[in-house]
Amino acid sequence: MNEPETSVPAGESIPDIPTRIRTGLSAGFKTSLKIIKVSVPLYVAVTLLKETPFLNLLGKVFAPVMGIFGLPGEAAFAFVAAFLLNLYAAIAVIVPLHLTPFQVTQCGLMMGVAHNLVVEGGVLSTTGTRGGVLTLGRLVIACAAGLLLRGIWGLWETAASWAVTLPGLS
Amino acid sequence: MEILLPALLGGLKLSAKLILIIVPLVTLFEVLRHLPVFRRAGNVVEPMMRGVGLTRDATIPLFTGIFLGIAYGAGIIIRVAQQKGLPARELFLMGLFLATCHSVIEDVLIFVVIGGNGPAILGVRLGLAVLLTGLMARVWKPA
Repeated sequence: MNEPETSVPAGESIPDIPTRIRTGLSAGFKTSLKIIKVSVPLYVAVTLLKETPFLNLLGKVFAPVMGIFGLPGEAAFAFVAAFLLNLYAAIAVIVPLHLTPFQVTQCGLMMGVAHNLVVEGGVLSTTGTRGGVLTLGRLVIACAAGLLLRGIWGLWETAASWAVTLPGLS
Repeated sequence: MEILLPALLGGLKLSAKLILIIVPLVTLFEVLRHLPVFRRAGNVVEPMMRGVGLTRDATIPLFTGIFLGIAYGAGIIIRVAQQKGLPARELFLMGLFLATCHSVIEDVLIFVVIGGNGPAILGVRLGLAVLLTGLMARVWKPA
């Protein structure tokens, strides 16, 4: 979630339930506005771009890098949206691309680790002195997580296909 | 035009799906997070936190980050970190853990809605966070 924190400082009295519901709803409403503002234009843009050779071309350029993680080259566009903006933006790019369940999972994992780097990098550097290191670290961790999931998913599918061939299991 | 209209509708439908998850989630969290159960939860998680080099003081900022996210939970994370005077080592370990594993409920749910595998995303993120932070805690010994 990317809304600025609005809760009461520690030590202050705990708000009653109606106040908490109102706080939650208003925070949710603010997030909703942001989702619409980001997701709708991006979803439309990607759907339209799919009709042009541009997305295809971009996909070919990034295919070797994205291929490492089992993703199509076009997914690079979603990563840019995730790194600079947020996950809603990334999702708005992913859905029109019609990825497989594995590819959606892979995006969710890698982007879950590394997204909104500009804003969150700022927050991380105020908590510790090593915000820059942590932001770089997130990109590295995202890649590691991507390789890990690709490996696990591959093993899982192999195991599943073996299980099907075993008598009495299918 | 025959492309634009369905595209617009598709974008709105996707936004609606995301909003239907986010609004109840944020509201529920806001209602639940002041419950005494969560304030006492520190006792239960303390031994687990020691494994990744963190002390009791880091409980609130850590769990705020795990459930709320870094940007949304920033206020709480920064304030508590300063109030408790968390040492640089703990701040770094907490940051490392949160970098890998934050805002997990929301992040996972919105990808499940579009066809992702939730347990896989959550499992790898949590596992990797514990592994990396635990490793770093052993590399960077407390002073």
